[in-house]
Amino acid sequence: MPKPPHGVGRPVALRPVDVHPIGKVSLSQIVGLAEAVDEMGGEADVAVIAGEVDMDVDRLGPIVSAAEFLGMMSVDGGNLRLTDLSRKVLGASVRGRKAIFRDIVKDVPVFRQTAEMARAKGRPLTRQEVLDAIATRVGSHAAEDVFQALLYWGRYCELVSYDSRSELLTPRTPAK
Amino acid sequence: MVDPPPLLDVRDVSRSHFENGKEFKVLERVKFELAERDFACIVGPSGCGKSTLLRIIVGLDNPTSGEVLFEGAPITPENPQVAMVFQSFALFPWLTVQQNVEIGLEARRVPPGERRTVATEFIEAVGLTGFENAFPRELSGGMKQRVGIARALAIEPVLLCMDEPFSSLDALTAQSLRDEILQLWSDPALPPRAVLMVTHSIEEAVYLADRVLVLCHRPGKLVAELEIDLPRPRNRKEPEFYGWVDEIYGLIV
Amino acid sequence: MAGLRKRFRWVALALVALAVGVATLFPAQAAAALKLPLLAVYSVSRMVAAYLLALVFAVAYGTTAATNKRAAVVMLPLLDVLQSIPILGFFPAALVFFVSTFQGSPVGLEVAVVFLIFTSMAWNMAFGVYESLSTIPHDLEDAAASFGVRDWLRFRRLALPAVVPKLVYNSILSWTNGWFFLVASEVFTAYGATYARPGLGAFIADAGQAGDYASILIGIGALAAVVLALDTFVWRPLSVWAERFKVEAVPGREVPHAPGLYQRLQWLPRFPRMRAWLGARTRPILDKYDRASARLDRVYKGHATAMRAVRRLDLVLFLAVFVLVVGAGLLGLAGLLLRPLPPGAADIPAATALSFARLGLAYVLALAWTIPVAAWIGRSERASRFLTPALEVFASIPATALLPLILGFSIAVASGVGHEAGLAALLIALFSMQWYLLFNLVAGVRGIPGDLEEAARSFGLRGLTYWRRVLLPAMVPSLLTGSITAWGAGWNALIVSEYLPFHGRLYEVEGIGALMDRATFGVPPAMQPNAELLFLSIVAMIVVVLLMNKLLWHPLFRRASMRFRMEA
Repeated sequence: MPKPPHGVGRPVALRPVDVHPIGKVSLSQIVGLAEAVDEMGGEADVAVIAGEVDMDVDRLGPIVSAAEFLGMMSVDGGNLRLTDLSRKVLGASVRGRKAIFRDIVKDVPVFRQTAEMARAKGRPLTRQEVLDAIATRVGSHAAEDVFQALLYWGRYCELVSYDSRSELLTPRTPAK
Repeated sequence: MVDPPPLLDVRDVSRSHFENGKEFKVLERVKFELAERDFACIVGPSGCGKSTLLRIIVGLDNPTSGEVLFEGAPITPENPQVAMVFQSFALFPWLTVQQNVEIGLEARRVPPGERRTVATEFIEAVGLTGFENAFPRELSGGMKQRVGIARALAIEPVLLCMDEPFSSLDALTAQSLRDEILQLWSDPALPPRAVLMVTHSIEEAVYLADRVLVLCHRPGKLVAELEIDLPRPRNRKEPEFYGWVDEIYGLIV
Repeated sequence: MAGLRKRFRWVALALVALAVGVATLFPAQAAAALKLPLLAVYSVSRMVAAYLLALVFAVAYGTTAATNKRAAVVMLPLLDVLQSIPILGFFPAALVFFVSTFQGSPVGLEVAVVFLIFTSMAWNMAFGVYESLSTIPHDLEDAAASFGVRDWLRFRRLALPAVVPKLVYNSILSWTNGWFFLVASEVFTAYGATYARPGLGAFIADAGQAGDYASILIGIGALAAVVLALDTFVWRPLSVWAERFKVEAVPGREVPHAPGLYQRLQWLPRFPRMRAWLGARTRPILDKYDRASARLDRVYKGHATAMRAVRRLDLVLFLAVFVLVVGAGLLGLAGLLLRPLPPGAADIPAATALSFARLGLAYVLALAWTIPVAAWIGRSERASRFLTPALEVFASIPATALLPLILGFSIAVASGVGHEAGLAALLIALFSMQWYLLFNLVAGVRGIPGDLEEAARSFGLRGLTYWRRVLLPAMVPSLLTGSITAWGAGWNALIVSEYLPFHGRLYEVEGIGALMDRATFGVPPAMQPNAELLFLSIVAMIVVVLLMNKLLWHPLFRRASMRFRMEA
């Protein structure tokens, strides 16, 4: 996976594999990781962090990947370093963070694709339709994970609305 | 002029269980006060009765002797001035996030339009906008606890009680939520006016609290009250932080 | 999904075609059968009345048992005993009681039938309510209490959602039981008189007595159609709705469904868009409902003290009645024991043993075909899609409706050997038991986690080893659940199957059911009913059922839960 240039937090549109890394990771975990690195002065070895937070390096791996994917962290070997973006996020309020991530996430291909599909159909999309569309890009095996990530980040950034009973997905424009 | 009564006045509260004619003391003559803008943590070894103490203050349990006064008046069961955040989240699985947050307001007969507005405000405050119609099973642990916090804040309580709120979460999520709690706390426009939290992690107590109340093991007695004057945000790597942790640890052991 | 619906449509069409065919071939019977819809309405109304009564009872009883620890000490064992009483055993007495109370008017009969069905429904529903309420997580109750969620709101937001899933499941089970007893009770001969009310069961029984096989088939077809219609339009949507109240134990993992009948209702398609449209339409109504509830809250609150007083009075009355009834029963029993035993009492142990053996044989026969078929259906998607609709149609016909056909078949087959009655009794017991076993077993096989299957395959486990190590252990817990229900149905079936007046002749075998029927109807030529003998027989049956539960099923179930859990 190509690494972003140092210190810059804008990698996303280039990735061939979209959304995978942020699939099973929550925002709190990414922010928590950033805070842990921040406490160590902005730069730390991943093994040290793992010891600090008492988590397996295994469990930490996906969180680190996700942080990197979003441009929150630069990873060099085993060394983690905060980026300007992560400093901005750490300093922001709860509402501010949402706006920052929304900017990043809305360009992720799967979100654009979903929005276009909804616009084309002119009605909410069913879960199956979205899954099928995702499967054409990443295969049916990974489609469910990507869909869950779409729901999580989409709802968080207020780009997507989902009703789990009717299983209908609606893209939305966030209130400013 | 008479001083206004303290926000919370715990007076010689004792709690015992009786089994087969024998008395098992859980709490013994716990006595402390909370004032406005106090963020207090109760720490102690497991089994020392700290959760029982919290339940008594919230009104879910009754002391065997002693009393708890709230702004000078004795607490009523299901004290409406106090809200609780639970270790296991305790969300209604068949209600959406919106409905869960509104439940306290619904119990107070707030009309639907108004409670929707209030609940939405607090859902936004914890960063869960976008998930209003999601069900608890669709949420991660951290998000579920955020719902619990929003639900507690929605009734605009005077005192927020939290029973080991982060111990069911992984370390990173927990840390993230601790900072969010501090953020909410630092906003004077938001309720509550005081926070009382039970935790088994001394580090967490030193990180968050202005005052730490130390309970010893069963029967739980209040052995120390400490005022932590470190400025926030606190860094766990700093020596002063560690000093406090060591001191409290010494008091418990 | 669409394929499944199509197949179901074919089965339904085939049934209709069969009915139409029979009707054209036998126009006289067809004309008589035109009143079937009306008869169906009568039968369904009785079921609905009994169900509503059972529902009210179950909620009241279950809630009291769950909230009042002291009452529960008495109420739960009582429920156990009530569940083991063979319903048809005391039906004659109840019948006579209601008929004489209403001075011979048909109302008395209707009440008796509804009462009978009520007793077949109420106990397991009460258990379901009790179990649901007592397994509400403690932290949820604490949360509700700490936020001031009380009374009506607590009922709406906590108690009702907790109760709905099990209640729906038990309702479906209750209705299946109910149909059995409805058919058995719409025509009933007791104390020399025949009591009948118009309905589908009466239609089939009358056709049976007349030897009119065409009408029998039409009647059975009509009954099956009604049961299936209710299934499709009432129970399936209700089950889907009840899904939303289920508390998922492990997020993301497939929640194991309650075994047996519930598993039968899984293939209703979802219609997401229609539901969204419906949702939009109903939201204003729900808002109004919210406001009305708030107003109801205020009204209810004012009566809270009154409600508490009523509940306490309820409890006192219940205890008083209970003490009186038990006291009277014990006194009666003591009186009986002190008096010389009624004639025929010495037969009871032997008769019970014979019936037990008969049920055992039926059980083994049922297992012989249900285990392989369940294994097949549970593991093969195609077999499941193909067979499930057909099996559901067959299973919806209560064994009592098949009585005339089974007896006719037995006569045709075994009259040469002289064992028609024995064969009929065995077959009826078999038919009562097999569906509970089958559907529970299928659920058990389906419950095998996918990765266990894959591990077995990768280790090359096939044939007998696979059966021994994977399949049979998976089936054991469901087998036990199904067996408990099946045996319960079997005991009741005995009472109808061991003593069969048909077409002027009496087909009976030695057994406790026959003993009870003889005690009820009297033995020719005297035709004198023997209430004491009946009472003792009922007691004997209850004792056997309770002993089987305590000594066999419950311990087996506990051991099986520990050894054969499908979780690592």
